Amino acid sequence: MTEVLHDVVLTASWTVLGYTLLLDLSMLALVLLGARRVAEARRWKGAEGYGEIFASPLTPAVSLLVPAHDEEAGILDTLQAALGQRYPALEVVLVDDGSTDRTFELVAERYQLAEINPRRTAELPVDGEILSVHRATTGDPLVVIRKTSVGRRSDALNAALNVARHPLVCMVDADSLLEEDALLRVARPFVEDPADVIAAGGVIRAANGALTDRGTVLEPRLSRNWLVRIQGVEYLRSFLLGRTGWADANALLIISGAFGLFRRDLLLEIGGLDPRSLAEDAELVVSLLEHQRRVGAPHRVVFVPEPVCWTEVPETWRVLARQRQRWSHGLAQLLWKHRRMIGNPRFGPIGTMALPFFLLFELLGPVVEILGLAAVAVAAGLGILDLGIAAVMVGLAMAVGTLLSTTAVAVEELTYHRYQRGRDVLTLIVAGLVENVGYRQAHAWFRLRGLVAALTRRDPVWTAMPRVGFARDDAPSAELLVPAPR
Amino acid sequence: MSPPVGPALLAGAGVTVLIVVLLATVATAHLLRGRRSARDARRTRELMPLVHALLDDDPADGTAGIDIAGAPAGLDEIVLDLLPQLRGSDRQVLRQVLAERGVVARAVADLSARRSWRRGRAVALLGSAAGGQHIATMAARLQDRSLEVRCAAARALGKAGEPAAVAPLLRATSGARALPQGVVGMALLDLGTSSLPVLREALVAGDGPARQLVAELLGVHGDLSAAPLLEGLLRDTGEGTGVRRAAAGALGRIGSPTSTEPLVRALSGSADASLQRTSAEALGRIGDPVATAPLLAGLAASDVAVRAACADALVRLGREGRAALQDVASGPGAVADVARAALDQLGTTPSRPQPAGAR
Repeated sequence: MTEVLHDVVLTASWTVLGYTLLLDLSMLALVLLGARRVAEARRWKGAEGYGEIFASPLTPAVSLLVPAHDEEAGILDTLQAALGQRYPALEVVLVDDGSTDRTFELVAERYQLAEINPRRTAELPVDGEILSVHRATTGDPLVVIRKTSVGRRSDALNAALNVARHPLVCMVDADSLLEEDALLRVARPFVEDPADVIAAGGVIRAANGALTDRGTVLEPRLSRNWLVRIQGVEYLRSFLLGRTGWADANALLIISGAFGLFRRDLLLEIGGLDPRSLAEDAELVVSLLEHQRRVGAPHRVVFVPEPVCWTEVPETWRVLARQRQRWSHGLAQLLWKHRRMIGNPRFGPIGTMALPFFLLFELLGPVVEILGLAAVAVAAGLGILDLGIAAVMVGLAMAVGTLLSTTAVAVEELTYHRYQRGRDVLTLIVAGLVENVGYRQAHAWFRLRGLVAALTRRDPVWTAMPRVGFARDDAPSAELLVPAPR
Repeated sequence: MSPPVGPALLAGAGVTVLIVVLLATVATAHLLRGRRSARDARRTRELMPLVHALLDDDPADGTAGIDIAGAPAGLDEIVLDLLPQLRGSDRQVLRQVLAERGVVARAVADLSARRSWRRGRAVALLGSAAGGQHIATMAARLQDRSLEVRCAAARALGKAGEPAAVAPLLRATSGARALPQGVVGMALLDLGTSSLPVLREALVAGDGPARQLVAELLGVHGDLSAAPLLEGLLRDTGEGTGVRRAAAGALGRIGSPTSTEPLVRALSGSADASLQRTSAEALGRIGDPVATAPLLAGLAASDVAVRAACADALVRLGREGRAALQDVASGPGAVADVARAALDQLGTTPSRPQPAGAR
């Protein structure tokens, strides 16, 4: 019996080791691709200036769609940032998706809302009941839809799509603050290549701890909460390197739900967002790509490696667990729905690279990680664990993880340099190290639970994240008070 | 069989060295950034009087009396930043400065550099800093192996402002190394009205994608002379939908009442909802009351977006269109809902008809 267990443990160890090696090599390749692209983008930004995009009569108008459920903590800031975009033609469509707090009242008071007859531009099915539609009387291009919630963000977005007027639609989370030029930056690919570009996204960062004033991030800062700090590094790694690398390989699967720009006509052609999906942002991109490939139409999904949006990330383990579980559940739904694309060369790099990667490393990653941890525990229990070898392997895994995080911080520091304070940069580096102990393992557990939920076909339900709102600029930092050197 | 400890240790050591190098790079970059920006600011302060002196000089004198060649290297960047904001003689003076300092010659040499960003930067610089004599050199870059460089070449040709660039730009919209239409469109718009005669010719002789782009641009220019050609395209049912849609949109921008008839035909006779919608929008822009009846009929179209576009167009027609909408809005049914939604934009919506028996 012991011998059998010994063999099982050894096989599991080798499997985990081989898997980790493959994952690290893939990540390294992505990071190198991403870092190269970011460096090139900083060296030469391309032919077009944003001023020219703003002034061009060829720049298409944009409808910003903001689904909101119990967002009273930050909704006014979010709307102010959205309506304050430097962009030639836009409207904002806010969907109050069954809020039980004062979300609607706050907006109604600030923008002096008046009820109107809805001007429908599409007839996508919406499960929740539309209660009323309102328009701002303050001169702001704002439409507000009130509907009952069915617990899915996609339903609210489909309701917004039904009244959106413009050829491009931008989906924005209600807990996100957009940079003033966010739309210009992300719309640029659509202006330059209107026939081929179908979706575009940019870099999202954690807003917790940043100093804000009326929807504007005055000074990016790191939160005092280590859970938030670790997520800050995660976002840097994922957006600055991972997605840039995927986009460079023409295999970008995810345009973040927090901020993504899409061609409205194509969204309507595919029937809007999948109402059952829990990862509606990735699901949307994959559905669009599948549709365009099937009809033989051009399709470019562009990632703009520049910071455009600041979003609130979970501050507690409980909320983080729910969020990551939902992401994993949604990913499993997506991969199952589009299983015919996986490994299928007809779908290009998406079919042959991105989807297999997401299946092997994103969806099944936690299974292997938990299996590895269990193998170590069993080996220790059986007395066959070689502490020396285990220490070397754990050290190597930590070193590779730290290398990836440090690379992301280095790219940020050498390119965008948004964190002005030295201690914030140092904290990011430390967070990249700390992440390996505890956070990574807990994260694997949350994702495993999401996978199990998907396998057991539990009903997908979107659970809203409790919001704390954005930090006000009540006490500006010393750097802001000191006049700039002359 | 035990895991390979030796290679793992070696890999661990390599990764650790990389981390240390990265950390040192981050620390150095962070510490030096403040000093570098202070140095740049100081340099700009020192050089700005020189730039002002150059701009204040009599254009006839050029840059006589100022030691251009001996000025510090930072001058080039300041001049390049200023150039897009200037016009006329000031722009000419700064172009001369860049030529005298060898910046233009270096850019020409960089056009054959191995790295694409160098070629791209060089051609972009030529577009704003050089005159018409480099058109052929820049046009040659429209066939560069890098898409970004090709785009930069197109934009540079637009900024150079020579009508001779129209033909190569239009040719660049097709072929193995075709340029995105938006980039070519912006470059052609930069060329201004001097490009209109060539654009009109291309509307007749060009291929499908080029004609669609040209139709759109003629509309943006509001080129009344192109209206008959665009009307012909819109009438031609054998033409691609994209070209006809672009023609309809352009006719709306131009605003000639002669275009009402073909637009009404497209709205009433086409099976393509996007063409119907664009035609309705164009009729609204033109504002000819003759379109009232067909737009009212469009309120019952099967496509919801066409219905909305027809209602909006009626609002834009003025008194006659709004009166027609008011009539429809006071009735029952889905058409009345569309009319009410459009009138809401003006705040003149009649109240909903009460169901029978309602108090």
